[in-house]
Amino acid sequence: MPPANSSAESRRLLTPATIPAALEAQAAGARLLAGGTWLMRSALRDEPLTGAFASLHAIPALSRLDLTPEAAEIGAAVTHARLAEALAGIPELAPLAVAAGASANPGVRRAATLGGNLCATEFPAADLACALLALEADVDLERLSGPGRVYMAQFLARREALLPGALVAGVRIPRRAGRLGAHVRLPLRKAGDYPVAIVSLTAEVADGRLSRPVIAVGSVEPVARRWAELEAALDGVSLDPAAGASAAAGLLSSFSPREGIEAPGWYRAEVLPALVRRALAALEASA
Amino acid sequence: MIRLRVNGEPLALDLDPMTPLVDLLRRDLGLTGAKAVCREGFCGACTVHVDGEPRLACLTPAGLVDGREVVTIEGLGRNAPPSVAPVDDAALPTALQRAMLEEDAVQCGMCFPGMVMALAPVLEAEPSMDREAIRRAMTGNLCRCTGYERILDAAVLALRPQQEAAE
Repeated sequence: MPPANSSAESRRLLTPATIPAALEAQAAGARLLAGGTWLMRSALRDEPLTGAFASLHAIPALSRLDLTPEAAEIGAAVTHARLAEALAGIPELAPLAVAAGASANPGVRRAATLGGNLCATEFPAADLACALLALEADVDLERLSGPGRVYMAQFLARREALLPGALVAGVRIPRRAGRLGAHVRLPLRKAGDYPVAIVSLTAEVADGRLSRPVIAVGSVEPVARRWAELEAALDGVSLDPAAGASAAAGLLSSFSPREGIEAPGWYRAEVLPALVRRALAALEASA
Repeated sequence: MIRLRVNGEPLALDLDPMTPLVDLLRRDLGLTGAKAVCREGFCGACTVHVDGEPRLACLTPAGLVDGREVVTIEGLGRNAPPSVAPVDDAALPTALQRAMLEEDAVQCGMCFPGMVMALAPVLEAEPSMDREAIRRAMTGNLCRCTGYERILDAAVLALRPQQEAAE
């Protein structure tokens, strides 16, 4: 096999030390490079990897991971491995800890970043994006014109319009005491594989009842999204994994599942009730 | 110019900074222990150490190892952390590699350098690991000969002296 990306002419790798410097480089035509796990596979997608690149690894602000009682603020360059380690054992952040610790494999998790997971617009099986939806995170964007903050759901729905000229600096996750969460995924192999479907879920649980559930579905459609119909159906009902799965089974028609080499679209939707059952069972176990 | 140390040797290389590290090692330095197999981070056959941490060399741009220390399977004995380093500094292979030999764990050899490079620092960091934990640590290393059990046997064997000493 020939070396990947060997056809590139002169390529340059810049290492800006500040966010403004990275934005200047981007404005001059450089592509932003985080962990490299998406860009370095460009050749396999028959995409050219040419020109200039601005690595984000030398910008301290992008590697922050601050946990306060009110929020978790996580920089875009934080890796999956670091996330999984830092968030382990925090009940309200469980979906993100599980997503970060279960995705791909240890080698990828040591390189792949939170920002890369959010910015890989062609990657539908992004675990972190789904978990951050369920956690109702905000995304912090930086532009030469100044910073901005958008809801995760809005970011995912509009990111192809939002990302040009912008840098994802990180996310802010509100920490709400008493809220629990779960993240379940179905890879075709037990580990080290992309998930066919993902369900991330957060809710309050009191007296055995669910309150204000937030349910996100990933890898089924091209972009992760919330399952509003199921959220409405489960709000205020008993935490019953089997009943939740039955409710989910009756609400699959809103999905337009994607076809893929690893699984047909119908299968991705059909497994969702089982994943909802598992997510609710995990929630029950942590309550 | 990319300046780095590979297996302890300082180097300055004038090359495309987006070259995958595995190609720098194999093509420019002749270090063919790391294998370029899947080139997408799934198989682990290209695993090397960058500043002591296992990294997938197929997904690592050469420019990002500027100023860093790279160790390949060829240099493991000389640069390994203490628990996997040779008992006698002058002797190769390492304790982990000797366990692999003892358990006759090597089959075709394609995955093997990556297996050892992925396992060595993990065993060093967590010498109390049990078989299941080692199995999880190997998730990103595929063996098409399906020789996993003997590789696990060897990793368990490599840890045994430390675990017995801790009991």
